[in-house]
Amino acid sequence: MAAAQFPGNISSQIPLSQRPEWADVKPVAQDDGPNPVVSISYSDKFLETMNYFRAIYLADERSPRALQLTAEAIELNAGNYTVWQFRRTILESINGNLHEELDFVDHIAEANPKNYQIWHHRRWVAEKLGTDVTIRELEFTGKIFSEDPKNYHAWSHRQWVLQALGGWENELSYCQELLEDDIFNNSAWNQRFFVITKSPLLGGLSSMRESEVTYTIQAIAANPENESPWRYLRGLYKDDPEALVKDPRVASVCLEVLTAKSNYVHALNMVLDLLSHGFMPSSEISSAVGALTTNSLEPDSDLIKSICSVLELVDPMRGNYWKWRRDTAVAQACRR
Amino acid sequence: MGEEDEYGWDSDSEPQYFDKDRHVQFLEMIFELLPSPYQTQEINRLTLAYFAIVGLDILASLDRINKDAVIEWVLSFQALPKNEDEVNNGQFYGFHGSRSSQFQHVEGGLVPNGSHLASTYCALAILKTVGYDLSLLDSTSILKSMKNLQQPDGSFMPIHSGAETDLRFVFCAASICLLLGNWCGMDKERAKEYILRCQSYDGGFGLIPGSESHGGATYCAVASLRLMGYIEDDLVSKTVSPCVLNVPMLLDWCLKRQSDDGGFQGRLNKPSDTCYAFWVGGVLRILGAHNFIDEGGLRRFLLTTQSRYGGFSKFPGQLPDLYHSYYGFCAFSLLEEPGVNPVFVNLGMSEIATVGLHL
Repeated sequence: MAAAQFPGNISSQIPLSQRPEWADVKPVAQDDGPNPVVSISYSDKFLETMNYFRAIYLADERSPRALQLTAEAIELNAGNYTVWQFRRTILESINGNLHEELDFVDHIAEANPKNYQIWHHRRWVAEKLGTDVTIRELEFTGKIFSEDPKNYHAWSHRQWVLQALGGWENELSYCQELLEDDIFNNSAWNQRFFVITKSPLLGGLSSMRESEVTYTIQAIAANPENESPWRYLRGLYKDDPEALVKDPRVASVCLEVLTAKSNYVHALNMVLDLLSHGFMPSSEISSAVGALTTNSLEPDSDLIKSICSVLELVDPMRGNYWKWRRDTAVAQACRR
Repeated sequence: MGEEDEYGWDSDSEPQYFDKDRHVQFLEMIFELLPSPYQTQEINRLTLAYFAIVGLDILASLDRINKDAVIEWVLSFQALPKNEDEVNNGQFYGFHGSRSSQFQHVEGGLVPNGSHLASTYCALAILKTVGYDLSLLDSTSILKSMKNLQQPDGSFMPIHSGAETDLRFVFCAASICLLLGNWCGMDKERAKEYILRCQSYDGGFGLIPGSESHGGATYCAVASLRLMGYIEDDLVSKTVSPCVLNVPMLLDWCLKRQSDDGGFQGRLNKPSDTCYAFWVGGVLRILGAHNFIDEGGLRRFLLTTQSRYGGFSKFPGQLPDLYHSYYGFCAFSLLEEPGVNPVFVNLGMSEIATVGLHL
């Protein structure tokens, strides 16, 4: 097992200066110049490793021991793109085993899952190995998501894998699975949108809209305080707000949430958006909004004004925004 | 438990005001020497210096540092082409991020050039902040070679030898052009198209097309469009005029990032984090919607991430770090804290430092 090469720490505890295989190399110290700013108090190990790295880099030594040294340098500073770049040069020159290289990245990513350079390197390797590693790459990101389901880099990598190498077959059910674990996981909602709009197997947004609206409405009804499905629902009608207004299921879920009188901020916001796109409210919606106005609020014959007044009261953090929404909606109505 | 002071605050608790003096001390300490955990960020020395120096400027304390020494140090990171032919060899001649990506010429050997877009942005921002005349730089070689980094889709790679491309580097490229007063370094039209492809279904922007909306990416998108002149200031008061991007959805997305605890989150359903008070708050400033946020709530949140040792942490109760400290200072600048210089949001430096630029 190649992975067994990387138990715990990659780097040996023995300083490089005491390892016989490095005896022929003269380390090159960093020249920080006369008046350095933000100097870093490097550890001895860091200084030594980088000094040896400088030596082999300047000598352009592309050898197995140089590859091992880059691993040690990466373990100390995984963001150093020069070291990563040289590692790729070495791998190409010595025809390194790229499957083992993925094992190495697995190991480094465990400690640094939020490092850009690791993911760029991983893509470089996966690109060379092609569709042989499609499943491995999807599983690798899946492993990252089991620790952090919102890891931004891992999601970018996964989207790249799908687009470059394929593997779309189970992606919608994977999103489903993550959303069942946590319906508030917005990264999973985003991936769902990516799949339904980009998957070559699903026919695009127009074929998926019906079933997606149904799914989203259910998610809203279960957790009306969850902003993610509300935004997803608008997204499904992104290029066609008139159709959003005409879909009776949208108004219906708003009515359901408003009538329940709990966690209704997003529902009110949706009705406000619908109204600004020409929605003709039913009397049920108007009275459900009216029922939310308290004694301190005069029910207004103008539904937009009523909604904004309620929002000002229940979402005071954005009070000025709701006032502004009311004023712009009124101005818009005057122009019609 | 400590004793209560005259204001009723427990003396063990964090100060309930913006403790500018301690923040200046914190940055002065960092300017001198960073502790060893920062060695993992060694490659970004210029970025660390940017946070410390521009941070001191935001705190109106630039007099604490030797500006000439800073200029000399920053200039020493520049990658200079040997001759005019080299400018066209496909490499980028900007600034190196640190000594560990910068190597001296070796007899007969390769002369690797590892200059980087983010380091170049930070170098120019520092130089401008400490009063260096940027027209003294050979801007032609920086800009001509920078164009090699732009990809067919309009995005930018940060380094010629290859790396991820995303909105961060579009922002760096646009800032570099603006700071050098010359837009020949990029195809603005293609960059704009790329940015617009990053606007997500929910109104915010992802770092690349298809990615989840994110506060930092949204800042890069909106600031770049503003720097390139594709949008005006105060878009919310001009909703009638057509705009290249969907402003109502963007505005709504940004405002909903302020959470119940008063802080800003970077993405939906994530915890509040100090830095988004600048990333998202800054976008709202550009849009002319800063008066829509709950400033009192934001201030209260930020005071929970302020460290008693100076600086800010990401989340309440953690140790401070340089990155979150800098954006904490910028956030207080946006809140118009007395004694703090106004930040020029689009460019990520103080307003006074931008004197003379064509904004």
